This record gives sequence, structure tokens and C-alpha cells, in this order.
Amino acid sequence: MTIAEMPRFVRADGPDKVTGTGRYIADLSLTGMLHAKLKYAGISHGRIVAINTAAALAMPGVVSVLTADDVPDVRYSPGVADRTLFAKDVVRFEGDVVAAVAATTPEIAAAAVAAIEVTYEELPVVGDLEAALKADSPLVHDSWQTYESGETVQGHNIASRSSLDRGDAKAAMATAHTVVTSRYVADGSHAAPIEPRGVVAQWEGNKVTIWSSTQVPFDARSGVCETLGLPTSRVRIIVPHLGGGFGGKCGFHFEAHIAALARAAKRPVRLVFSREEEFRAPDRRREGMIIDITTGLDADGAIVARIGHALLDCGAYIADGAFFPQLAAMHISGPYKVPNLFIDASLVYTNHQPSGSVRAPTAPTACWALESHTDELAAAAGIDPVAFRKLNCVDTGTEGPTGQLFGEIGLQRCIDAATSLAGYGTDLPDDEAIGVSVGWWPSFGVPSGAFVKLDSDGFGQIVTGAQECGTGAVMTLRQLAAEELGMDPENFELVYQDTSAAPWDLGATGSQTLFNNGRAVIGASQQIAEQLRELAANELEAAAADIVLANGMASVKGSPEASISIAALAGIAAGGELLLGHGSGTPPEAPEAVGTTCVGDQGVAAWVAPQFSCHAVHVKLDRDTGVVRVLDVSAAHDSGTIINPVGASGQVHGGILMGIGQALTEGTTYADDGRQVNAGLLEYKLQTAADTPEIRLEFVQINTPNAGPHGAKGIAEAPNVATPGAISNAIAKLVGSPVRQLPMTAERIWEKLDGGAQ
Amino acid sequence: MQFSIATTLDDALAALAAGSRPVAGGSDLVVGARHGKGSLPDSVVAIDRIAALSNIESTPTGLRIGSTVTHAILMEHPDIVNGYTALADASALVGSPSTRNIGTLGGNVMNASPAMDTGAPLNVLGASVELQSAEDESHEVSVASLWTGPGKTSARPDELCTAILLPHRPPRSGSAYVRLEYRRAMEIAVVGAAASVELHEDGTIAEVRVALAAVAPTIISVDVSAIIGASVDEATLAAVAAAASERATPISDVRASEKYRRHTVGVMARRAVEAAAKRANGEHIAVPVNRAVGVGAATLQATGVTK
Repeated sequence: MTIAEMPRFVRADGPDKVTGTGRYIADLSLTGMLHAKLKYAGISHGRIVAINTAAALAMPGVVSVLTADDVPDVRYSPGVADRTLFAKDVVRFEGDVVAAVAATTPEIAAAAVAAIEVTYEELPVVGDLEAALKADSPLVHDSWQTYESGETVQGHNIASRSSLDRGDAKAAMATAHTVVTSRYVADGSHAAPIEPRGVVAQWEGNKVTIWSSTQVPFDARSGVCETLGLPTSRVRIIVPHLGGGFGGKCGFHFEAHIAALARAAKRPVRLVFSREEEFRAPDRRREGMIIDITTGLDADGAIVARIGHALLDCGAYIADGAFFPQLAAMHISGPYKVPNLFIDASLVYTNHQPSGSVRAPTAPTACWALESHTDELAAAAGIDPVAFRKLNCVDTGTEGPTGQLFGEIGLQRCIDAATSLAGYGTDLPDDEAIGVSVGWWPSFGVPSGAFVKLDSDGFGQIVTGAQECGTGAVMTLRQLAAEELGMDPENFELVYQDTSAAPWDLGATGSQTLFNNGRAVIGASQQIAEQLRELAANELEAAAADIVLANGMASVKGSPEASISIAALAGIAAGGELLLGHGSGTPPEAPEAVGTTCVGDQGVAAWVAPQFSCHAVHVKLDRDTGVVRVLDVSAAHDSGTIINPVGASGQVHGGILMGIGQALTEGTTYADDGRQVNAGLLEYKLQTAADTPEIRLEFVQINTPNAGPHGAKGIAEAPNVATPGAISNAIAKLVGSPVRQLPMTAERIWEKLDGGAQ
Repeated sequence: MQFSIATTLDDALAALAAGSRPVAGGSDLVVGARHGKGSLPDSVVAIDRIAALSNIESTPTGLRIGSTVTHAILMEHPDIVNGYTALADASALVGSPSTRNIGTLGGNVMNASPAMDTGAPLNVLGASVELQSAEDESHEVSVASLWTGPGKTSARPDELCTAILLPHRPPRSGSAYVRLEYRRAMEIAVVGAAASVELHEDGTIAEVRVALAAVAPTIISVDVSAIIGASVDEATLAAVAAAASERATPISDVRASEKYRRHTVGVMARRAVEAAAKRANGEHIAVPVNRAVGVGAATLQATGVTK
């Protein structure tokens, strides 16, 4: 079935968002509410000599001012506990929070923040990834060896390090017929959600309710509990409509600062970020990278060995990045048959804004490098780039880079589909070319929970721990419940997100919502279906096993005239045992990595239900200016069974557009002092609707073993992986060699053309 | 902050005399304040409801565009599109549909940004502005002498720009504005160039003017008199590009380096002259030129524009 033929799907949150009746954090207002403003370091590295808050506190309208002295002395962060709520002793990036103010108006709060005097002894800024690793480089964290770091492998300015070691890469490289070495350097980039983040906190007695624009409410709750020393029973996180996230709103950010301010002020407090704060302050941006790859081929063009080395810009704190090196290593290996492999990757501390999970963390960047390198390999072997991939890519029954044996996978079919959609191989004008890239991305099997209930009129609620970040994954849960119960999806209201009402879920992260919470909702619905069958069996004098639930009716198999409406059954249940279901289920287990040594293993070296993709991008180059326009993108995705085609297509379209931005225009520029130069939407250039190319899409739906509900895999991140690599390869065809820098800006392309010689 | 709404010109001029700053669309004033360019003025007078400022009318000397006419109007107005096409090209590129619907030509002109899209077209079209105050009779100032620096004009604070005046266009003339852009909406000119070309019967150049955006503290014009009398060929266009690149005094910033700006402003200038000449020759190139020829992705020759 083509996408056009699939049924349309109206999102439950669509009308609210489109008509403007939906309420976001910035729309919330509570009686007596104060406004928060954070005092940031403003410098990238310095020792705090003194903080003077007296002038701020004396200002009329200022209710409370907090610093590190006013909150529990707790170091936190997953992976490595390298961070405190307020900077203590040392500030390590421009957005480090030094103090927080609550005042009666935002203007007074801003004035008070400006009146806080902080004296620093400035320290040398660590900004260069390679220099940071040298023994004489200043340390971003001079007492890193005392931090709790669990399984994370650390070193001198290294927040986390991983390597993959399979076979004997060095020996195999020595026997290779052809060897190609490449270096690629990428700038960092931003998630840039349209809604800048916001937090509202209100205490009632010893309990706090926090409304937060977070993708991961349970993680946010954990952070508040850990840093303020509270049990989960006293912290409730509620998320109203979320105005996008793209990973940027994963993790625990500012909820505890605002809760602490509200407690001190004894009044509700609201924080709403400006766009500039959204750029500078959060510990979530896509990491810059330096990637070196050497690959050896045999005489037929088959890969025999690969040695790779990657440095990732961690920024000042590790945030959730401990697994980034291992994931980057997986993407530098890629979905290729590589019998001998050694890849070493390090997440390097610098005095930049911390990096963190942005849509498919590490993948678009590492894939861009690998896929550009792959076209160089194909050229060196004298093989067409698509044929080279067909020869070297993994397939059903082959092994991945860490020895994972693949069940049925659709990568080879994706390559065929995308290149066919693109008309790859047909003649194009001199200034146009099609570049091709493959990509891959894991699914994540994790615990998740949901409740489903039906009320007396046969309408119900799905109470889910999952968080909707705009992808539509939560919206699709109605479909799953309705299918189990033979009901209309519109009969269900979705109740999310409230950590005190719903069971635990990881949140809108890792493309995991439908994959795991779908399982939970199906489980909960099946419990109600069981109840309905029992009730119907009683009413229809039949065996429960013979009751069929369909079209809002319960009927006896083979005797459709013997039936009763589900609404009537719900009415009966309302007078006795209520229709309540709860679900969680067992997450699919990740396969083992075999035959590969993983130093600094973070659990992402072998992937459950891996997703595959191929993008073929058709670009046009203006040789006089270096400006590239993407004319059309042909994408084929194996994301397993597609449950909601409209939602899934939207994810692919959005992922491609984000990929085009990262490829061509989106990149953070740092000044030598470690501060961002283009922290705003005027100078940080997102793609716009007017830039959107024609997108052709095919889902390669195969029967995936050990996957999510109905054979689904994830879908939110995978479409963001392959686009920059495909664009790079198209540009390289026109320019004669890869640009090797990301983003591949007009000026960088022009420098590679004749203009660079002027 | 004080905010008043003027419904007549006299009310507005009185407010300005009392120290108010005028606001029409607010797309520069409000956005600038939000981005810390400068705080909002203590007193603001809205002029967008003064009917007398929102007309486009023919006059004995040419066209008079009221200062609160929006970019959205300009980009589609037949007199502008047919006669003063460079201004339509530029208006169609400003910001986004919402920016074009609220942003006004008078606001654009008085904001005096060197990167303004409409500035180079107004320069090559020989525009002047009409300034009026409560104290004095209205008087005209050419745009070239109006703009004195980034965000600076020669107008007094109590003077209101009431109209932009464009002289009649000669026969066999055409104009165009071309901008280097990295994306197709919400873009600010990295560099831009406008050209006005008048052709002789034989297709040689009778008159030509070129102006550049975003490569100097103000919109600047380029002396291209050397190509008067020449035909519009590769050598002529190369001379335009060289003159523009030489005249430019760009800076390096996060948008582009000085070197890249200097080069690309030459490319934009030659494309502007080429498009203006084609229009002067009666060929149709849709507004804006950037979209018609896919600037950044195509050269003019490749578009197959037809007579």
C-alpha cells in the first residue's frame, strides 16, 4: 500500500495546536506567581572569587535570590556526577548557572540578575578537541578523578571513552589492496525547538508540583528528587502541550532551580526562556566532532578492515553523553560488513555548552563522515557508490560490526527503493547531482507502563507515562487500544503527562514511545478485552473464548446476531467490577555483541530491532557562490511495521529537513573565548518551509523479529541520520572532492571551488 | 512606556514634535528591542492607521508611495512590478509572509540598515523621500543623502517620512534586485545588488546604475559608467562584477567572510545587470529574480527566459 492509500489520521492534540487553544508552559499563570531569571556565568571558564547578591536582594519586587549555598550540596548527572545545580567555585561554560532570582515581574527579575556581582579569576579556555587531550592542557574538571563515574571510562579531559575491537584491524589493513584515509570535522548544532523551555513550580505543604516543558518527565522528577533530597512521592511533574523538543528537552534541566526558588519565596515561580537562553543555557546541543577513518579494501572492493578515531565535543558537563562515544563508533563502523575493526572514540571536556541527546545523537554527524568516506572508497575501487554499498552493506543473515547476527532486515531493499525513487543513474545537468547515503539506528527496549479504563458510557481514557513531544507517538496509542477492543480510536481520551497519575516511562527519547508504551497500552487493553469477553459471555450465554470484539460490539464467533454493544457492557461493568487495565510487558532484549571487545561499554554495541535507511538527495550547485539547493530527496526506511503512516511520514519529512539544515546551514560558531557567536535564529539558520524540497518516501516493511508492537521499530530519529551524508556525496560529485566540514556552507563549498584560490 | 495612536498626519507630527518615535509595522523596532539592539523608546506613536500614508499614486513626476505601504503590497502592485521591478524583487524577499504583511517601506527606509533589501533598488531607481515635521513644510531628500550610516539618517527626530518618490522610468529600461541567500525565507542579505539599465534601440547600454547592499556602512552605488555604450555581453558583465567587488568594503562576521562577500557581491551585481537588461529588452522575468532564476542554484543563462 502506498502512503497515499493509507488511512488518514487526525491527531488528538492537532486541533488544539492548530487553532491556538492549546496551553503551553508560558500560558500558565498561578495566583501570586513570581518570575524567575537565572544569572549565567557569561564567561567560559573562571574561578568564582565572590558573589554579592545584596544589591539584587534590596531591589523592590525581588523576593528571593539563590546561589549554591542555598541548595543541598549534590553532584549529579547520569554517567559521571560532574555537575551541581549552581556553579560552585568554578564556572565551566557561558551558561553555567551562578544564581537565580524570583521577582514580581520579569523585568525586575532581569534587573536583579544584572545587579548580582560575581567576581571571577578567569581561567584558560579549553576549546580545541585535540589540544584538550594533551598533557599540558588545562583541565575543565580538575578533580574529575573524585567524581562518581560508574562504568564510564574517563581520562585527561575525557568525559567518556569507548572502543570497538574486532578481528585484527592493523594486520588486515596491511594486506589490503586499496587503503583510503579521510578526516572530517563537524561543528556542533542545536535542537532548536520552536518553544523555548519553561518551568512553573508551586509548593503545597511539603510537596511540589512542577509544570515543565520536558520530553522526559520521570527523568526530570529524578533530577529534582536527587538534587533537592526529596522522595518521588513529594515531587509531581506535569507537562502541558510541548512545543517541540528534538532531544533538546530531554534530561533534567532547570526544574530544581525553580522548585528551590518557589520554596524560598513561598510563592509559585515561573521561568520562561528567551530564544537566546534557549541557545546558550541548556545542556543539550549536538556535539562537534573530529573523525578520522581509514578503510582497507580487497581487490574486489570488499571492506577488509577499518580503523577509526573520533573526538566528540562534550562541552563542560557530560549530561547524558556517556554513551555517545560508543554510539559514534557504531556509526563510524556503519551498517557494513567489516571483519576487522578498531574504532576508538572519546567525549572530550571543553568549556563549550554541554552536548546532549539531540535527535539521533552522534548519528547524522558520524554517518556524514562515514558515508562521505564510503564514496571516496568507491571511487578508489572504481565502483559506483551504490554498487559499492550493495556489495558491502549488511543484509539478512550477515553480522554487524560487533558480531550481531541480523534477522530479517531491509537495508538492501532500502538502497534499491531510494535509488529507484530518485532516478539514480539518469543524466543530469552539469550543476546537478544525486548523492546516496545509508544509515542505521537502534530501537530501544525499556520498561514502560500505561493504564486503560472504560467508563459507564463506553468511552475511555488511556493514562500513559509516555510523553508526546510532537512526533505523534502518544497520539497513535489510541489506535492500538481501539484495535484490541474493537472500538473507535476517537472513543479514547489520552491522559498524559503527570508523573503522579501515570506509570513510569522513559519519555520522548530514543524513538521508544510506541515501541515500548505501545506494548504497555496493548497489554492494558487486553485486560479490559478479557473483562469485556467475560461480561459478554455472561450476557450472550456463550463461552468467553468465542466472543469477538469489533466495531463497538461484542458478538459470538459465527453468530453475529448474538451481540451486545461494548457501551452496554461498560454500563453493566459500572455497577460491578470496573473496567480497568494496566500494562507494561517485558521489553525485547538487546542481542549480544560477540567477537568484539568493547572498552567503556555503554550497552549500545548491539541493537534490538535495528532500523535501516537509504537517502538519495538531488542537489543543484551555484558554482559562482557555492550555494547548494536540495531539489528532491528520495528516502526508503526499514522501520518495521508502520502503524501510523501519516505520523511516520511526518517524522521522515521532518528528519530530512533537519538533516538538510545540519548539512548546509546549521552550525554553532564559537569565539576563541568559548562563547557562541550565533546564538539566535537570525544567525543560526534553520531550514524553513520555503526551503523544503520534494520528498519521495517508501517504507520497506518487513517482518521484524523481536520488535515492538505489531513488528514496529522506532521511527523518530532514524530519518535524521542519512541526509547530510547523501548531500555531501552529491556536492562532492559536483566539486570534485568532499567538503569535509559540517555544515557544508556556501562559503566552505566556494572555497573548494576555484573561488578559494582567489 | 507611552503609546498613542495617531489617525491624522497632524496628530502624528505633533507626537513626534513632543518626542515620540513613530511605529508602523514594528518589525524593526520591536524585534530590535527584543534582541537587545536598543530598548524600546519611552514614547511611541502608531502611524499605521493614517490613511493618507498608505496610498500608491501616480504624480506628474512619477510614483508616490505612502510610507506605510507594506512589502506585501509592493511586491504585487502592477505599477511597481512593471515599472520599478527591482523594488518588487526586493519586497518579495523581505522576511516571511507575516513580515511582508506588517513591514512598511517607510519603516525600512528610515531604519537605514545597510543590509535592507529595498535600499539598493531605491538607490538605482533614483528615489527620494518626503520628510515632514510639525514645524516645517515637507521637503524631499534623495535616499543617497538620507542614509548616513548603519541605522543613521540625515532626518531630524521630529521629521516623519510620509512618502517615497520614484521618478518616471524611461522607455526600454528595466531593473532588478538580486540577493545572496542561504535559505528562502527569514533571510537577511549576506550581500545584495540592484541594477537599473536603459538600452538603446540597438541593445547597447544607454544608462546603467548599480547599488550594493550589506557591503558597506550604507547602501552604496557603484560607478559603472564605463559600460555605457557597450552591449550586454560577458565582458560587460565581468566588468560590472569587478567594479562591484572593488567598490565593496565588507566586513567579516558569522554570516560570511570579507573575501567571500567581496566576491559574491560581484556575482550579484552582474546578475542584477543581466536581469535588468533582459527586462529592459522586454523579456519577462518573474518577481522576484531570486526565485525566477533560482539564485544560488542557477545562472540566468540557464533559465530559458522568454520574450
